[in-house]
Amino acid sequence: MNLRGWLIQLYPRAWRERYGDEFEILLQECLHSPLDIFDIMLGALDAHLEFPYDLNWRVMNMINKLRTSILVVFAAYIGFIVGGMSLYGLADDSPMADLMKTQTNIPLLASWITIEVGAIIALLAVVIGGLPIAWIAIRYALTSSRSDLRYLLIPVFAFLALIFYAGFVASIGLGKIQIPGVLPVVSHDNFPIGNRLLIGGGMLIFILGAIASTIAVWKIVANANAEENSLHIFNRAEPIKTYNHAFRFSLVTSAAMLLMLIATIAWGWFSYSAMPEVFSENWGLLLTNTASSFVVIVTVMVLSTAAAFWGIVRGYSVRNVAL
Amino acid sequence: MNLTDFGRFSDPALLILASLANGPKHGYSMMIDIEIMTGVRLGPGTLYGALARLENSGLIKSMPAKDRRRPYRLTVTGAAALREQLSLLQKLASTGLKRLAAP
Repeated sequence: MNLRGWLIQLYPRAWRERYGDEFEILLQECLHSPLDIFDIMLGALDAHLEFPYDLNWRVMNMINKLRTSILVVFAAYIGFIVGGMSLYGLADDSPMADLMKTQTNIPLLASWITIEVGAIIALLAVVIGGLPIAWIAIRYALTSSRSDLRYLLIPVFAFLALIFYAGFVASIGLGKIQIPGVLPVVSHDNFPIGNRLLIGGGMLIFILGAIASTIAVWKIVANANAEENSLHIFNRAEPIKTYNHAFRFSLVTSAAMLLMLIATIAWGWFSYSAMPEVFSENWGLLLTNTASSFVVIVTVMVLSTAAAFWGIVRGYSVRNVAL
Repeated sequence: MNLTDFGRFSDPALLILASLANGPKHGYSMMIDIEIMTGVRLGPGTLYGALARLENSGLIKSMPAKDRRRPYRLTVTGAAALREQLSLLQKLASTGLKRLAAP
């Protein structure tokens, strides 16, 4: 961290969230002497003692708190998606998929359908709740902060990288590209290490892309002006309070995540009851031990759900903040 | 609104109000303008300490940022407060000069 960054860090977080960006630009132009450094230190001390000055600042702090809570739920949701996609890969490439297709094991099928319904509810809640906030944040990034524009490109690059890799794997599958040690078509009994690495690479790109995109979205939303909380849509007389709106849908997302977690554990239990031998064998996209893979997936889901509810509890007290 | 409520930031606050009297400015522009206008160079910490208080009191208002520089403008209340303070100073200056001129 350079001197400017260090000096800004001296200020309280709430102050930095409001003035940090413009103050850094000012320091780029006018930080000339030790007297300036001393003046900034005094200013930081004053901000620690006096800031927030009155109700308006407290409202801003509450909005920042609400926004961070929403972002925590969003990041937790992305973590849950990674776990959910891994569960889909495990189930789809194992005898459990055939068992579900026969539709004879009703509890197993019902738990799987519950997971799918929960996934749709959570996705809709994220999209409906997040669109107004995303619109305001992207508009702010496009009009006010050029440095934020690079963050907008990260989800696009992550998506393109995944598409490119999928095309590469498809070309191998179609025999258009040949790599030593990698077969165009694999089976459970003939799954060479080259193919495992190929699929593992795809999973790695997906996970890294999800993490990078989540950080980018976090940065864009967190950098947006918290005062711009209202959005007029569909000619409604009353504007949408974007953060309050997003928080309500965060509750839905978190509830859907809990539902999916319970359904996943139930699905694992019904699967184990029907085919206990599968859990001691190697299945899934990477042919890893089924029981171990399932435990890792459930752990990711538990941690993600816990993080989402932590975000909800954190933001609940300020959910009705108005600006 | 009395600027003396700002404590040690009351003088810088008056300078900022005077700087914004002829149009919106961002932090660095205010700093330069004040230095040209009065010969006083406000430190960055002092500038933003006063600026935050003025904004909080509704005497100035922030505008949408451009390239991360956020301009501020005088509000109607801010213009009234500036006028009141300058009238007081004018009265003080006039009285002081008259007394100095008196034999």
